[in-house]
Amino acid sequence: MLDKPASALRLRERLLDSERLMEETGCYDGITELTLRNQDPLKFETLHTKLRAYCVSAREMARRISASPGVREVGEMVVAIYTPEGDAIALSNGIMVHVHTMSRFIKWMIKNNYEENPRIREGDIFANNDAFIGTVQVPDVMDVVPIFHEGTLVGWAGAVCHELEAGGITPGGDVCLAQERFTEGLFVCAEKIGENDEIRRDYVIRCERNLRMPIYWVLDEKAKVASCIDMRESVKQLISEIGLDYWMKVSKEFIEEGRRAQLARTRQLTVPGIYRGHTFYGHVTSGKPGFQLLGDPDWLYNIPIEMEITTDGKITMDFEGTQPWGYHSMNCTPAGMDGGMFVTLTQHMNFEGLVNDGAWMATELKLPHGTWTNPDNEMVATATSWALLLPAYGVFQRLLSRGFIARGYVEEAFVGQVNSPMIEMGGESQYGTPFGMAHFECAAAGSGALAIKDGLDTAYVGWNPESDMGNIEVWEQSMPMVYIGRSIVPNSGGAGKYRGGCSFVSTWLINKTPHLRLHTSEHSSRVFDNGGMCGGYPAPTCQKHRAVRNSNIHELAAKGQPLAHAPGIDPHVSDYEKNIGGDHVVVEGPYITAPHKEGDIFSHSYNGGGGYGDVLERDPIKTAWDVENGFLTREAADQVFGIVLKDDAEGYPVADIDATVERRAEMRKQRLAKAIPVADWIARERGRVEKADFAPEVKKMYASAIKLSSRFTRDFSDFWNVDARSIFTPGAKS
Amino acid sequence: MTSYSKEVIRDLAAGQLPWPQTRRIMSAYKDDDRFFKMVAVYQDRVAWKDPILLPVSDHLFICQSGDERITRCECGHSFGDYRKNWKLNAAINVRNTEEALREIYPNSDLPDPQWMEIREFICPRCGTLHEVEAAAPGYPIVHDFEPDLEGFYREWLGKPL
Repeated sequence: MLDKPASALRLRERLLDSERLMEETGCYDGITELTLRNQDPLKFETLHTKLRAYCVSAREMARRISASPGVREVGEMVVAIYTPEGDAIALSNGIMVHVHTMSRFIKWMIKNNYEENPRIREGDIFANNDAFIGTVQVPDVMDVVPIFHEGTLVGWAGAVCHELEAGGITPGGDVCLAQERFTEGLFVCAEKIGENDEIRRDYVIRCERNLRMPIYWVLDEKAKVASCIDMRESVKQLISEIGLDYWMKVSKEFIEEGRRAQLARTRQLTVPGIYRGHTFYGHVTSGKPGFQLLGDPDWLYNIPIEMEITTDGKITMDFEGTQPWGYHSMNCTPAGMDGGMFVTLTQHMNFEGLVNDGAWMATELKLPHGTWTNPDNEMVATATSWALLLPAYGVFQRLLSRGFIARGYVEEAFVGQVNSPMIEMGGESQYGTPFGMAHFECAAAGSGALAIKDGLDTAYVGWNPESDMGNIEVWEQSMPMVYIGRSIVPNSGGAGKYRGGCSFVSTWLINKTPHLRLHTSEHSSRVFDNGGMCGGYPAPTCQKHRAVRNSNIHELAAKGQPLAHAPGIDPHVSDYEKNIGGDHVVVEGPYITAPHKEGDIFSHSYNGGGGYGDVLERDPIKTAWDVENGFLTREAADQVFGIVLKDDAEGYPVADIDATVERRAEMRKQRLAKAIPVADWIARERGRVEKADFAPEVKKMYASAIKLSSRFTRDFSDFWNVDARSIFTPGAKS
Repeated sequence: MTSYSKEVIRDLAAGQLPWPQTRRIMSAYKDDDRFFKMVAVYQDRVAWKDPILLPVSDHLFICQSGDERITRCECGHSFGDYRKNWKLNAAINVRNTEEALREIYPNSDLPDPQWMEIREFICPRCGTLHEVEAAAPGYPIVHDFEPDLEGFYREWLGKPL
């Protein structure tokens, strides 16, 4: 093992040296032997457990300082402890996606000579929310403080909160109207925002004057700094107990151990080989106010992923063939892509042992330059990058799951995460004051199914394994809307032997405000942005918004007449239209319209997860329970699953097993009668491909993929036996 | 070392193990003898004799059939050489109209069939729905999985194929 004194090299040189050693030895920081672990494994494990406890405790303490329901109620926060070079040693629970994005932030400062200017000193506080430096999107604001021991930098403590208001062109944090970086909100670009453990007053003033709801951001800053100081002091105390040399060595060994554990876990749980999958995302903004015509208003992205697992256990994910960045809010930086990889790994493979940056080091991402995954223009917006990140890492989860199934660990197979559209809002609050907020009940979508059971209903999102929708009463304190409904959306999980988890829909009455702006993002309404697996279907596409302006709800209530509390199950006429008078509005895709006012009604639904396995194998008894409890409709039970239900004496649905067996046999026959050999289908479709007989958005997608990727071009051409370039990019130079 | 009986693994694979027991399995250290135990469970499930080498989906297996290694449906239908995409030898039903999509999504808003279609890959013998692709019209059929079978057995399992 290479033993480096704590302060022999300047930080930047030390970082470059560490990277060189990794390159040369294949081991983190050149650590080829886990000497301390081998000497005293119990001490080694105990120390890491202590560090993790420091993190968990600091986060919980900090959540009590925050004013934001996003942090207090839903837990949109994570903290971690880093090496001097910025590699995560230990982390808390929470939005773990940011453990590695913070690592990038620290390394960026080191590589940009922050040691010289603005200097890195004891008591300094640095903040960042620039995704090209190291975060996912503007609302993800991170703070780090250096940890010094007797004048030597021995590590960093870092914390991230997702802010509910970022001061962008529209209120909230996920600013879907941002088409360039200049409309995303308040940027803090690797800035020293405090000294001597105190946040600078001028920085606070800047926040107060540039945000719609500064109390959230500013108190979150205080919460983060408090958590960092708490972790810093704990680490200093630990060093005084174990000695500086031991700390400097053991903190690196923890990471190398994490790297080795990830490789071992891959070898234990999967099968080597090439895995492929894809998903899509469709964006519809034609005719919506506010969007500048900088690019096509409606577009379709393909997200193909090829994952390779080698026999040494390394996982490589390759996004070649995907689409270019665009003038929209959904681009992502390599930091965000890293974060997505990290948070997915922690959920699926790092569920025990030393969870840290070592896991990330056992993987590789290939992000083609110029695509939405790695823009070659740092002016692009990334305000809603989750819109593409979540579908992409849902594919990753399905690819990993294919490996789990092949290896026999069916209980780990999971159809994956889905988008969960967000509501952003602002205007005049119910207290008569200006306000802005992101509604974070979206952090409780339906999950994909498992290979052995249904997905989780209203209990999962990819970015935070501690999914929580928050209590209605807490949200009502923070916005001028009151709930008149929050209920399961029937059939919102993808159909399958095991269905995807269901999502929910909320309905609100706008209350005590003359001016409420409501904006939403992350809607793929024209295409599925999720998938099923092993015969399961994707969950439905993002549902349309339904609102009622100038409703007569107060009159109905006064007369004691029934209201509508959810859209209902008729896709053509909602229950709002059936029961409530007023001007009814149906909007596809992002909701960007004129402000609402008291008496209006607004509804918003979230997404369910994809299904697993053949629908004709679903348990009829479980299905009857689903129908009784509103997770499935009778129509779906009958026509999708082939399950015949009858009513018991009290009117509850029960499965007629014999009739179901008969009906399913008939459906299987019909299925075979309708199907044709794939070879015949390819021969027929080839004519359509040759004529490029597709919608303009589909043709544009192919042209863009062909322009960016020779592999996509070759694969497309080989599959259809055509010249893809001449069909979709005629006249272009090859 | 963690290990479970073949009966427990059988019930787990069938989704019939009680949830508390399943959860304990999910939370415990993994049982390193799982692969061959699971293969034995699948082997009991199928009516044919070809040795299963690797499960690749809910009802699809790579097996040794004489000198060949093929992808086989649980019903016995062969989809050919395991290195080739089994989907190319399947039957397909494509849902690319609102009416066809509505059959699967009776109560929800639908995707635009001009932008996206659903492809159902079906066993031509038994009618099992093995895989569903949601793709833009014209998108090539994806080859989901090309396992490194030799490397897996030789280097990870330490056993000859």
